[in-house]
Amino acid sequence: MSSSAPVARRASALGPGLAALCVLLALVAFLSVTLGSRSIGLPEVLRALGGLDQDGSITSTVTLELRVPRTLLGVLVGAALGVAGAILQGVTRNPLADAGIMGVNSGAAVFVVIAITVLGVRGAEVYVWFAFAGAIAALVLVYAIASLGREGATPVKLALAGAAVTAGLVSVTSGIVMTDVDALNELRFWQVGSLAGRYAPILAGVAPFLVIALIASLGFGRALNGLALGDDMARGLGQRVTRTRTAAFAVVAVLAGAATAACGPIVFVGLVVPHLARFICGPDYRWILPYSMLLAPIVLLLADVLGRVVAAPDELQVGVVLGVLGAPAFVGIVRYGRLSEA
Amino acid sequence: MRAWRPALVLAALSVVLAACGSGTSGTTTTASTAPSAGPWSFTDGSGKVITADRTPTRIIAHAGEAAALMSFGIKPVGIYADESVKTDANLKDLDLTGIEILGQEWGKIDVEKAAALRPDLIVGDWWPAEKAHSGLEEGVDEKSKKLAELAPVVGVSQGKSIVDLAKGYEDLARSLGAEVDSPGIAANRERFEQAVAAFKEATKAKPDLTVAAMSPADDKLYVANPEYAPELLDFQRWGMRVINPDTPDPGFPYWENLSWESADKYQPDLVLWDGRSFKPTSNAEWGRKQPTWFKVRAAKAGAVVAWPAYWLHTYGDFATELDKLTAAVKAADPAIGD
Repeated sequence: MSSSAPVARRASALGPGLAALCVLLALVAFLSVTLGSRSIGLPEVLRALGGLDQDGSITSTVTLELRVPRTLLGVLVGAALGVAGAILQGVTRNPLADAGIMGVNSGAAVFVVIAITVLGVRGAEVYVWFAFAGAIAALVLVYAIASLGREGATPVKLALAGAAVTAGLVSVTSGIVMTDVDALNELRFWQVGSLAGRYAPILAGVAPFLVIALIASLGFGRALNGLALGDDMARGLGQRVTRTRTAAFAVVAVLAGAATAACGPIVFVGLVVPHLARFICGPDYRWILPYSMLLAPIVLLLADVLGRVVAAPDELQVGVVLGVLGAPAFVGIVRYGRLSEA
Repeated sequence: MRAWRPALVLAALSVVLAACGSGTSGTTTTASTAPSAGPWSFTDGSGKVITADRTPTRIIAHAGEAAALMSFGIKPVGIYADESVKTDANLKDLDLTGIEILGQEWGKIDVEKAAALRPDLIVGDWWPAEKAHSGLEEGVDEKSKKLAELAPVVGVSQGKSIVDLAKGYEDLARSLGAEVDSPGIAANRERFEQAVAAFKEATKAKPDLTVAAMSPADDKLYVANPEYAPELLDFQRWGMRVINPDTPDPGFPYWENLSWESADKYQPDLVLWDGRSFKPTSNAEWGRKQPTWFKVRAAKAGAVVAWPAYWLHTYGDFATELDKLTAAVKAADPAIGD
């Protein structure tokens, strides 16, 4: 009895914790709509949100057409990156796994560059689909390479295949941009990772994919708990390891692919937040996944708001802010936290 | 040790060079039949005086600088440009046969090819904000910077006026032995003076008209800082009220960066659009794409005109561009931005 008591207590605390995070996320989202590089008074924001501002004033345009889509995109993309990171760390039993090292960013970048150079297309609203396709193609490639051989896609082979595919795709990208400065300039904007300059069309484009994949991802908790014990143990418990892994990868491909497509590669959220969630919840993926899903957009939106406020009337890209804040945060977790292995 | 050893080598070298210099100058004084043979000197935009024993003849020049020299009949052996020579504003109408093209994008120069041309002078504008010559700025390919090792680099400063710039290249051309008062050149200058007079008249007729030089981009809206754009300073000098942005980027003071949320910070009556990216369809396109672009009232009213951003080098080009701006000023409504 004494051994199960802490677990029970933890579970009873984790439920309300999740509700508290929901409130916190709503609060941060509210901040993201009310704060920005332009200072708009709270009453004006509320009037715009209430649909009372039909005069087409800039405050209502900024609130409704810039900040609201940006915030919603931040929530969805953040949740997707957090959950994708958590699933990948579980499936590959690799604490350093995130969408980036599985080739997602490099795959998306290659497709964006090819779209610019070969097809001559321009603009964030077109890149999104190429990036999406590229991210999925890269993940499929990584998984296919890792699946070669008798024992299937083991964690070690996945990590190696991810590194190899990333290296290969990155060299293709640099090869192309070396010869085409135009592509380089366009890629530079895309590659920082930003929530700026993405409006309703992009949000509407990726939202359905993200919402469906996010819902699907929550069903993986039990399976990931099994995989955490090792492939053999999971098999012994009656799990179909290969099928689980394939399904998990498919969900990650949609989550990370759509997120990266919409905002460019955003680092650290997918890597750090699952560790944060594990730190709070312990090793149970049935809790880690929803916690990651709520913690990640909180972190992403806070970083974005910070980037908007510190440099006004200019802005810092959220990718830059996360890079600067994320590194020391991760060091802190490694140093003082319990960086568990899976 | 590491600090002073190169200094020593340099000192030794300069003694040798000085000896050579005095030797050759001695021969030129005796051989007075070749007055343009040297010695040659020119004051660079950085303030440094560049000297050579003989007047340079094998010149490699950056795009607009090459066009300026060619307008005085000096044909460079090689050109490096920031974009395709077929679209470069300075080069697209020139006959470049017989000139080696050494680069067609910013930051990339084929130095090996350049070395094979055995240049004795490199010509590129001096950019005071970056303290570097065109093609050798911060951020270019490290390999490109080796161009500076092939021959002395000179250029006129992208300083306070395009008129100074054009005059500077006239001086450079003269020092290189060019005929600078041919009728064609005089005609261009005449045309330029008329264009300035017409421009002044147009701006004088609309004393309340304000303009801002802008460059819209996907993530931000950039507002040009006239202090580092000689043509904008010229416009101001000639009566156009070009808005000075109040907080230019300290690291790259050519622009103030505005987030799209703050796009309406400046409300000019006429938008001068960065000519390097302007197309007739641009305004409508950006209005559709960026929800706040049309919050710049002049943009919404369609009061936009291309501005020859950072590329003018000759009286002729300046005259042509000024005429377009004069027409835009005449058509502009000084009440839009108020």
